[in-house]
Amino acid sequence: MEQSAPKAHRARNAGPKAEKKKKHTKNLEKNNPKAFAPKSGRNAERTARRNMDLGQKKLHVPQVDRSADEPPPIIVAVVGPPGTGKTTLIKSLVKRFTKHNLTEINGPVTVVSGKTRRLTFIECNNDINSMVDIGKVADLVLLLIDASYGFEMETFEFLNILQSHGFPKVMGVLTHLDKFKDSKRLRKTKKVLKQRFWTEIYQGAKLFYLSGLINGRYPKNEIMNLSRFISVMKFRPLIWRNTHPYMLADRMEDLTDPEKVRVEPKCDRTVSLYGYLRGTNLKANSKVHIPGVGDLSIENISILPDPCPIPDKTRKLLNEKHKLIYAPMSDVGGIMYDKDAVYINVPGAFTKSQNPDEEVGYGEKMVQNLQDASQTLEETMKGSTLQIFNSSKPLANLEEESDYESDMEEDFQEEDEEDSDDEDETDYESEVEEVDANDKRNRRKVRKPVVENENEEEKIEYADSDSDMGLDDDEEDPFEDDDEEVDIGIDGTLHWKENLIEQAEKRFNSTKRVNLMDLVYNTDYMPYDNPESEEYEDVDDSDLFKVKKVDNHKIKSLAFVDTCKVEVPDELLAEWEDEDTLDELASRFFIKGTEEKTGENDEEGDFEDLEKQDETQEEQQEEELTLEEQRDINAKRKEELKKKFDAQYDGEEDEDEGKTFYETQKEELARQQQMNREEFEGDSPEVRAQIEGYRAGTYVRIVFKNMPCEFVELFNPEYPVIVGGLLASEEQFGFLQVRIKKHRWGRKILKTNDPLIFSLGWRRFQTMPLYSLFSEATRNRMLKYTPEHMHCLATFYGPITPQNTGFCCLQSVSERKEAFRIAATGVVLDIDRTSEVVKKLKLTGTPYKVFKNTAFVKDMFTSSLEVAKMEGAAIRTVSGIRGQVKKALPKPEGYFRATFEDKILMSDIIFLRAWYPVKPKKYYNPVTSLLLQEKTKWKGMRTNGQIRREENLKLEQNKDSFYKPIERKTRRFNKLQIPKSLASSLPFATKPKLLSKRNKPSLLTRRAVVKDAEEKKVTHFINQLNTVRNEKAAKAKVKNAEKRAEYIKKKKAVEEMDVMKRKERAKEYYKQEGQKRAREAASAGGRPAKKAKKQ
Amino acid sequence: MVVKKELLKFQGHNHFRQRLVLATLSGKSIRIQNIRTDDQEHTGLTEISYTGTSLTYHPGVISGGAINHDCPKTRAIGYFLEPLVALAPFCKTPLSLTLNGITNDNIDVSVDSIRTVLLPQLQRFGVSDGIELKINKRGAVPNGGGQVTFTCPIVKQLKPVQFTDSGLIKRIRGIAYCTRMSPQMANRVVESARGILTRYIPDVYIYTDVYKGNESGASPGYALSLVAESTTDALISTECAYQPRKKAKLQEFDQSKMFQESVNPVAEEEGLSSMLANDYNFPTPEDLGVRTARQLLTEIKKGGTVDTISQWLNLLFITLGPEDVGKIRVGALSPFTIQYLRDLKTFFGTTFKLNPDKETRTVVLTSVGVGFTNINKKVT
Repeated sequence: MEQSAPKAHRARNAGPKAEKKKKHTKNLEKNNPKAFAPKSGRNAERTARRNMDLGQKKLHVPQVDRSADEPPPIIVAVVGPPGTGKTTLIKSLVKRFTKHNLTEINGPVTVVSGKTRRLTFIECNNDINSMVDIGKVADLVLLLIDASYGFEMETFEFLNILQSHGFPKVMGVLTHLDKFKDSKRLRKTKKVLKQRFWTEIYQGAKLFYLSGLINGRYPKNEIMNLSRFISVMKFRPLIWRNTHPYMLADRMEDLTDPEKVRVEPKCDRTVSLYGYLRGTNLKANSKVHIPGVGDLSIENISILPDPCPIPDKTRKLLNEKHKLIYAPMSDVGGIMYDKDAVYINVPGAFTKSQNPDEEVGYGEKMVQNLQDASQTLEETMKGSTLQIFNSSKPLANLEEESDYESDMEEDFQEEDEEDSDDEDETDYESEVEEVDANDKRNRRKVRKPVVENENEEEKIEYADSDSDMGLDDDEEDPFEDDDEEVDIGIDGTLHWKENLIEQAEKRFNSTKRVNLMDLVYNTDYMPYDNPESEEYEDVDDSDLFKVKKVDNHKIKSLAFVDTCKVEVPDELLAEWEDEDTLDELASRFFIKGTEEKTGENDEEGDFEDLEKQDETQEEQQEEELTLEEQRDINAKRKEELKKKFDAQYDGEEDEDEGKTFYETQKEELARQQQMNREEFEGDSPEVRAQIEGYRAGTYVRIVFKNMPCEFVELFNPEYPVIVGGLLASEEQFGFLQVRIKKHRWGRKILKTNDPLIFSLGWRRFQTMPLYSLFSEATRNRMLKYTPEHMHCLATFYGPITPQNTGFCCLQSVSERKEAFRIAATGVVLDIDRTSEVVKKLKLTGTPYKVFKNTAFVKDMFTSSLEVAKMEGAAIRTVSGIRGQVKKALPKPEGYFRATFEDKILMSDIIFLRAWYPVKPKKYYNPVTSLLLQEKTKWKGMRTNGQIRREENLKLEQNKDSFYKPIERKTRRFNKLQIPKSLASSLPFATKPKLLSKRNKPSLLTRRAVVKDAEEKKVTHFINQLNTVRNEKAAKAKVKNAEKRAEYIKKKKAVEEMDVMKRKERAKEYYKQEGQKRAREAASAGGRPAKKAKKQ
Repeated sequence: MVVKKELLKFQGHNHFRQRLVLATLSGKSIRIQNIRTDDQEHTGLTEISYTGTSLTYHPGVISGGAINHDCPKTRAIGYFLEPLVALAPFCKTPLSLTLNGITNDNIDVSVDSIRTVLLPQLQRFGVSDGIELKINKRGAVPNGGGQVTFTCPIVKQLKPVQFTDSGLIKRIRGIAYCTRMSPQMANRVVESARGILTRYIPDVYIYTDVYKGNESGASPGYALSLVAESTTDALISTECAYQPRKKAKLQEFDQSKMFQESVNPVAEEEGLSSMLANDYNFPTPEDLGVRTARQLLTEIKKGGTVDTISQWLNLLFITLGPEDVGKIRVGALSPFTIQYLRDLKTFFGTTFKLNPDKETRTVVLTSVGVGFTNINKKVT
C-alpha cells in the first residue's frame, strides 16, 4: 500500500501566535529586500510588466486646469426617481454643514463645507429637461436609488445623459434600506444593486448606504460619513466645461420698469441672474445660451461680493460663524435678497403701528417719517437749493453733471484767490518743485515714445511711475495746449500763478491716467508717419502733447494702403552715419566669449575665446592677486572647463532627463497654469475683466435684455437655470455631421427626416437628421432608417459645435411613451455649410433600335438637355452588358444613342445608376421648456406618424408604389428557319434533321412479354412478400398514432395544470403588492401626488 | 425666439484684409461702407456692388485645398498671401496655394520676408510640419510675372506663446535677388550690406538669388531682405526693393523721362506708390544694400521679440490660442498693429494689456486666448 503524504502544516490565522507573526511582517520587505527578490526571471519580468501596465492605465491626457485660485462652489446634484429621498438628503446634509433646518428647497443651496470648499446642492426633479441640464453642470452627482424598489429607468436615462456630456463624479446612495426586515435579503439586494451600479459606472464605484429615517432625517453618523466623502472628493476637469464659461443661476430678478409691464404685460423683460461663474472666464460681450430659453447676449455683468465666502485661510477650524448658507430662492430664515442688499424681515419697533396715538421715541419717529416720504431723494434734491455765500446766488437744479462741476470750479477759484495771499511765503518751495519738473522734462527729451514714429500729430508719453503720470498736473494731461508750456519762461521766471483757474480746472478734469491701453482702445488715435515734418529730432514736451489736426490726404504713409510695413524715413537712417550711434548698438549683438553665458542656443560655443578673454583679464589683475587667489581662480576655471567638456562629451545633459514625456507635459501645463494665475494679479478688477474676462469663482450678476416675459412670469425655481457661455464660432449655424448610434435599449429604429431632440453643447433643440452611411469610400449614401446595432452618420442643421462633442437624442421631452427615452447617442465629426449626402437614382429605358454595338434608347430621358447632362455616363442592361450614353437624337425628344460592349437584345431593359444629392431640412427649434407654464409639456414638431395617429388620418399611398402581381408571359421562340439552299450545302452532321412526330407507338413498346414457369413463380413470390410487409407497416402505423394521441393528451393535462398554478401565484403576488402599495400610500400621507407617479 | 444675426459695420477702404480675415475666423458677418467714396478716380470696389462703395460679407467654411490665383499688378503677392498665412492653418483640408504676380515691392511685404520671418514664427504656435513657401519665379514691379507656391498644414488648436526674451542677435541672414539684370547687381548689394553688418557680428550670410530665363518674371528688378536671428530665435527683418523712378521727379530730366516711359507704359505716379515717402530708385545697388542694412539696424534698435511686419500675426495667434496667457514684446507699435488691436477687440472681444518697459523701451503685450479651435477640421 502506498504511503500517504504527511499532513501539511497549517499556520495559525488567529490567536496570539498569529498576532506575533503579524507584528514582524510589517516592514519585512523594506528591511530585507534581498529576501523578497523574485526567484525567477520570468516572474520578475511578469510582475514588472504588470506594474508598468497598471502605471500606464492610470495616466490620463493631461489638461490645463483652468479653475481659479478661489474656486466656485462645487455643484452637488441630487438625482433620483421621485420618492427616493432627495429632499431629505439635502436637508440632512445642509443641517450637517450649517445647523440650518430648511423647510423647503427651491433652487440651489450653497453652503460652506470647509476651510477651502463650498458646496452648492441642487435637487433634480423628474423632468428629463432638468436632468439633461443638470448633467451638464454637476460636478458631483449623488444618485439616489430606492433599494426596496431597485433601479428605475430614470436612473439609467440619467447615466446615459451623463455619459454623452462628459462624465462627472457619480456616487450612488441606496435609500429605504430599513424596509428590509430580513438581513440576508438586504445583503443580497445590496450586492445585486452594487454589481449593477458598477457595470453602469465603473468597477469599484462608490455606493453609499443610508438606512432609515430618524426624525425625518437620515441618521447623523451616516450623513457625516457621506459629507466627509463629499468634502475630500477630487475632480478632473471635463473638456466641455474646461473650455466654456457657465453659471448656475441661484437667483433671478426682473428689472423691467413696472410701468412698462403694466402698459404692456407681454413686453420683453430685462432680467438679472445671479450666480457663481464657473468653467473658463466669461467675456463681457460674449453670447450665452440659457437652456430652455435660447441664445441671449449679455447686457451687463457686475461683480458682487461673495454671499458665501470661504473663510480666510489662516484659521484651523471652521468657526460656527463661517458656516454660511446661501439659498436665495428657498426661504432661509425670512431673508429677502435685493439687488445689492439683503433684507431681514423682522416685524419690530420701526414698523408703523396702526395706533397713531402711541408714544414713540425720537429715533423711531425719524424712521417712520422717512417711511412717509412721498418723493424719492432725487426728486427732492431737484427742488432744493443751496446758498454757499451770503452774496452768491442760491444753487439749484443740479441737473447735469457739467453744471455741478462748473460750480465746483467756481468754488475752487474763489478759494484759490483767497489763498493766493499766502502764496508768497511758499514761493521758495514751489520753485524747488519747478526745478524738479524741469529735470523731468529734460530727462524726457531723450526718451522716446513707444508708438512708432514720433513726429506725428499726437505724442504719447511714458510713465516713469504711476504717480508720475497721474498726479503732476504739468505732466498728466497729454493733450495740453501749447500755452501751457509758457508757464516756465526761458528766463526761469514763474508764470504759473497767472492761470491758476485753468490749472485748477485741469486738475479737476484730468483725474484719469492716460496710458497706452487707453490710447489704443479708447481713442481713435492713429500715428501716421509724416516724414515731411522736421521736428523728428527735437522731441520735446511741447510736441509731445500737441494735438495737431493734420489733413490726412497730404500725408504720405503706408498706413493708408493697408500694409503692415512701415517706411523708415531717410532722415532717420542718416543717424547710422555716426560712429557713436553705430557703436551703441553693439550691445545688442551676441559675440562669443564677451557675453555672459547664453544657454543652449550657443551651439558653436568653443572655449578658446573664453580662455583668451580670461587671460587678458588675468594679465591685468595678476599683479594685484596673491598666489592663493590665483590658484582659486585657476581651480574654478578648470572646473568650468571640465564641466563644459563633460557636457559635450556625454551629450547635452538636460535638466529634464529622467522625466517621462507625460511628466514633462504635465510640468509644462502646470507652468502655464501658474502663469495664468499670476499674470494679472496686480491689475485692477476692471482691467482684469477687460483682458481675461470675469474669472470663475466670482459671484456675479448678469443682466439680460429682451428676455421673453414668460421666463419671468412662469418662473419656477425648481427648474435649474443655466447660463452657458458660447465661444465665437458657436453662435453660428450650419450642417453638422455626426456619428450616431441608436441606443440599444430604444425600441424603435430612427427614420430619416423624423424630428429628433438633440442635447448638444449647452443646447437642447429639435432638428431633422438625415442618416447616411459612408459606402464604398466614395459617397455618403442616405439611409432611410438607422441601422439596428451599428453606428451611422447623421447630418442635420444646428448650432456649430466643436468636433468630438458628445450628444444624446430624445424623441420627446414631454410624455413618456417609451420605457427608455434616450433614442440615440453620438459625437460630432464635421461641420460644414453644405452636405453631400446622396441617394441612388436608377433611370431605365428600352432600346428601340439595335445595331451591332450601338443601340438607340428611348424612355430614359424626356429632353435632349437631360441627355446632354448625362453624356458619357455608364449604363448597363439587366443581362450585364455595359455601355455608355453617347448623344441625344435630334428627333424624338429625349431619345439617345448609346454604345455597348456587345449587342443587346431588343427585350433588354437599360438602366443608368446615378446619385442624387439629398439636402437635410434647415430646421432648428430650441426646446424652450422654461417658458412654459408646465415645464414638462414642451411639444415640438410631430412626426408624420404622430400626426396621423392623433388626427386619425390614413396614410395616402402612391398607387404606383403598390406591388402588383407579376405577369410572366411564356416566351415563345420561333423555329429556326434554315434556307433550303443553305441546308443543302451543309455537311450531314450539321444538317437539320427533319423527323416528323410519331403517331403510333413504336414496335418496341407494343411487343408482348411472355414469362416462363420459373419466372412466373419468382414474380408471384415477390408479390407475396411485398403484401406481408405492407400489412405489417399499416398495423404499426395505426399503433403509433394511438400512442401519440395518448401522449399529447397527457402533456396537455400537465400544461393546463402549470398555467393554473402560475395564475394562482400571480394572483397571490399582485394581491400582496397591492396591499403594500396601499400601506405605503397611507404612510406617505402628505405627498400622495409625488408617489403616484411611480408605476 | 429668433436671434437676429449681428452685422458688424465698418467704414472706409483701409484695413480691408484684416477685417475679412477676422470676420472669417470669428464667424461674424460684416458690412463695410463708404469704400473710397471721396476718391473721384477710383471710387469703391467696382466689382462688388452697384456703387461699389459697400460690401457685406457672410463668412462660411474655410475649405482650403489646391488654389491657383493671379494677383493683379496693383499689389504685390504679399498683400494677398499675408491674410492667407493667417487663415491657412484653419482650413478644412491642407492648403496648397499658387499665386502669380509681383513678388517684391516696397509697399507690401515681400515673399522672401514671409518665407523667412512669418512662417518660422508659426512654428512657435504649433503649426510646423509641412509649412513651405516656394518661390518658383520672381516678378518685379511693374509687370510682375512671379510665382510662389504656399503649402500649409492644418491644426486643431494653436499653442499659447510667451515670448518676451529678445536675446542678442547671433546671426544675420539675407537674400539678395536679381532678375533681368546683371547678376553682379546682387553681389554688389550683398557686399555693401555686409560691410555695415560685419562690424557687429561675423556670422552674416546673404544669399544671392539670380533668376534667369523663364523664372525671371516680366520686369527687371533687384531687392534685398535681411533677417537677424537672436539667441532666443527672435526674428528681426527688413527689406528693400529697387523701384523705378517716379514720374514727378522725372519732370526735371526729360531724357530719362522719355526712356522711362518707353519702358514702362504704365504711369507710376498715381496709385499706391504715391504713398511711398522715399525714393527707391537707387543710383547704385550699393545704396540699396546700405539702406537695407541701416533699416535693419533701426529695427534692431527698437528691440522686442517680434519685428514690425509680424506683429499682427503674433497678436492674432495669441488671441486665437487656448484660454491661456500669451505674451510678446514689441519694439514699437506700428499704426497697422494699433488698428489690428482695435479690430481684434471688435471681433473677438480680446483686449491686450500693453505694458511699456521703460528700460528697454519696448512694449509687452499680454492677453488671454479665446480658445479658438479649428471647427473646419474633420475628425474621424
